[in-house]
Amino acid sequence: MDRRTFLKSAAGAGTLTAVGGLSTPAISQRVTARVLRFVPQADLANFDPIWGTQYVVRNAAAMVWDTLYGFDENLAPRRQMVEAEEVSTDGLTWTFRLRSGLKFHDGEPVLAKDAVASLNRWAARDTLGLMIKALQDELVAVDDRTFRWVLKKPFPKMLLALGKNSTPVCFIMPARIAATDPFRQIGEYIGSGPMRFVRDEWVPGGRAVFERFTDYIPRQEPSSWLAGGKQMQVDRIEWIIMPDAGTASAALQNGEIDWWENPITDVVPLLRKSRNVMVDIADPLGNIGVFRMNHLYPPFSDVRARRAILTAMSQEDYMRALVGDDTTLWKPLPGFFTPGTPLYTEEGGEILQGPRNLDAARKLLAQSGYAGQPVTCLIGQDQPITKPQGDITVDLLKRLGMNVDFAAIDWGTVGARRAVKTPPGQGGWQMFHTWFAGADCNATHFGIRANGDKAWFGWPDVPEVEAQVAAWFEAKTLDEEKAATRRLNKAALESVVYAPTGFFLQYQAWRKNVTGIVKGPLPFFWGVSKTV
Amino acid sequence: MLTYVIRRVLATIPVMAVVALFVFSLLYIAPGDPAAVIAGDQATPADVERIRQSLGLDRPFLIRFGEWCWQILHGDLGTSIFTNLPVANLIAQRIEPTLSLMAVTLVFAVCIAVPMGVVAAWKVGTWIDRAIMAFAVLGFSVPVFVVGYLLAYIFALQLDWLPVQGYSPLSNGLWPWLKHLILPAVALGSVYIALIARITRAAMLEVLQQDYMRTARAKGMGQTDLLFVHALKNAAVPIVTVIGIGIALLIGGAVVTETVFAIPGVGRLTVDAILRRDYPVIQGIVLLFSFVYVLVNLVIDLLYTVLDPRIRY
Repeated sequence: MDRRTFLKSAAGAGTLTAVGGLSTPAISQRVTARVLRFVPQADLANFDPIWGTQYVVRNAAAMVWDTLYGFDENLAPRRQMVEAEEVSTDGLTWTFRLRSGLKFHDGEPVLAKDAVASLNRWAARDTLGLMIKALQDELVAVDDRTFRWVLKKPFPKMLLALGKNSTPVCFIMPARIAATDPFRQIGEYIGSGPMRFVRDEWVPGGRAVFERFTDYIPRQEPSSWLAGGKQMQVDRIEWIIMPDAGTASAALQNGEIDWWENPITDVVPLLRKSRNVMVDIADPLGNIGVFRMNHLYPPFSDVRARRAILTAMSQEDYMRALVGDDTTLWKPLPGFFTPGTPLYTEEGGEILQGPRNLDAARKLLAQSGYAGQPVTCLIGQDQPITKPQGDITVDLLKRLGMNVDFAAIDWGTVGARRAVKTPPGQGGWQMFHTWFAGADCNATHFGIRANGDKAWFGWPDVPEVEAQVAAWFEAKTLDEEKAATRRLNKAALESVVYAPTGFFLQYQAWRKNVTGIVKGPLPFFWGVSKTV
Repeated sequence: MLTYVIRRVLATIPVMAVVALFVFSLLYIAPGDPAAVIAGDQATPADVERIRQSLGLDRPFLIRFGEWCWQILHGDLGTSIFTNLPVANLIAQRIEPTLSLMAVTLVFAVCIAVPMGVVAAWKVGTWIDRAIMAFAVLGFSVPVFVVGYLLAYIFALQLDWLPVQGYSPLSNGLWPWLKHLILPAVALGSVYIALIARITRAAMLEVLQQDYMRTARAKGMGQTDLLFVHALKNAAVPIVTVIGIGIALLIGGAVVTETVFAIPGVGRLTVDAILRRDYPVIQGIVLLFSFVYVLVNLVIDLLYTVLDPRIRY
């Protein structure tokens, strides 16, 4: 090498170093392996799991805040922050004792008063919490590690309420933060879970960062969903927000991200071809497509009109429009409960099974008194799950000879308009579409309640349905629960509380150097590790 | 001149006031409700109403508008309904990626488009002219996201030269910063190149017909000097004008480009805020963009005096 060449090379290397263009040394590659880059289903736009009940907030919060109990993969609540509980023989007094050594991310110990404040805030927003509150005599801290919940009437589903993974989850926060009005957002994110939220690096719409909390004391048993030892294998988890599926797909193939929570079905064949990418079902409990009819106004104030729709609708049409032709990803659902769970039943589901009968449906419609008045159908165009469902419904209504007022709006507007109780034509509506997570669909689910004014949008008022919900709550054994659920399914289908459009699964995808990913209703980060 | 600049800057105040009133009114009458989005799917109507009250969305229009104006006058753009973070902070977090993207796009587009337009005018009627104009039509016709996907497929997935997505702050180094901006800038710049190249060609053709250009040629001036010193300088006013107008195009295009390349910029912040009905954020961003646009127009007007000494204010 001559002097001139040497100088050129040295200058080039210097420039590259200055602009950060040289490959990283081995030591920093090892550091990189401690960082997991994850693309969540949506943007983490707020971080208060009680104020904002979006699933994405719940999923992030599950890393940062721990729970008293947690659901395991058998949908059974198991002790988490609680060391032991005791219930009086009359079922009225529950006494809970916290595990020792639990700490918040600011180093303060987790005390019973923190649990009490957290329970109070959660109970103000949660359906089950509100039911417990209605029965509450007192909720007090007995000592630093013990608190007591005294009820006026037994509530056998107490542990289910405290351990469930449906939103809002009962996360434990410091008392001063939990004292925030549940209808106002918290401004401080001091957690009790295995990961710490790095607020300074939070760019809503861009990324959210979580770092391992070294003082977290996991339980000793193996982890199972929200229960067991939440052992973190990585030091840092970066959530990277990618609204575009094509970009996320390319980034995963290119190794720029490690784990993608919900790739759309269209890109899955491409991902499967990549030798470095794994694709599998995300959650075996899947999702349930849904449309709700407004029980307050004609034609759907008449049960015959609602039953006409169920008589005519083809769940296969909905599922093919929504998921595609891969029949392993969906199945018809003649009921309201999730396939694969102990309470699944098809009791009373005949109306959704067998060949579809449009003539019978038209007769039912005529009997209900329907005479061609417009039916306002709210269809969120920006949600990949609501739009295809809406298109199928509109086609169905037209084939039944109904006059459809197709309201093509965005999801934000659907959210606002479905709360409007005025008659259709004055801002109100007759139908809207959505979906429920399968893990949430049990007798406690808000969608199946039919308590009139207090019910979810659409306001069904069916005493028989409410009676069966109450029977489920009072059930003491699994057999009693199953019997109540069968009766509930039948009653809810007879009165058409809502219309299930089918059960469907979604995928998740990750790089092959990532291990420990489990299937479940939310991404569980404990046990997930990454090699270089 | 100074008086003119001061007068123009002061004139932005009523413009901004009208923009503020317009944006606020538009959002007020727009359908949708942030309280419903916050409350989530399982909220009861009572929950939605309680959140609406806690956000102050149940108060009359004039009171809300008055309070917002008062905040603005105190330099406070308000707090995001969703993130609970100050709007100014949210914009500050996102402004660097957007400004970087726009700056790189602008430099890239001008460096490519102006010579293209000059050459097309010089070789008017030849295959070179036609090829350049065909490229310009293509650039204008193909959507940014299509160009973006193609570039990402070729240069990131197939060749592995550049990253697919993301943004690296300038503080992390020049090359990481530029590496993340090359593909987005090329994708976004394709429309812009087409626009500037066409205008440059048209302006140059007009100048090249002028008597003084014939005189310059007769004096034996070299082709390069003729085109780039004499002709281009005289054609600069319409070119600069279209570059200025094109900044509005860039702002609009940045929304799509930032989405395709997952760049956390102001464009995506705008879309997210609109979908969530995060009123304070939308209002803040529109005000900012309006101000930038007014400012760009002022700079362009001042540039006229530099490019054409006959123009005086």
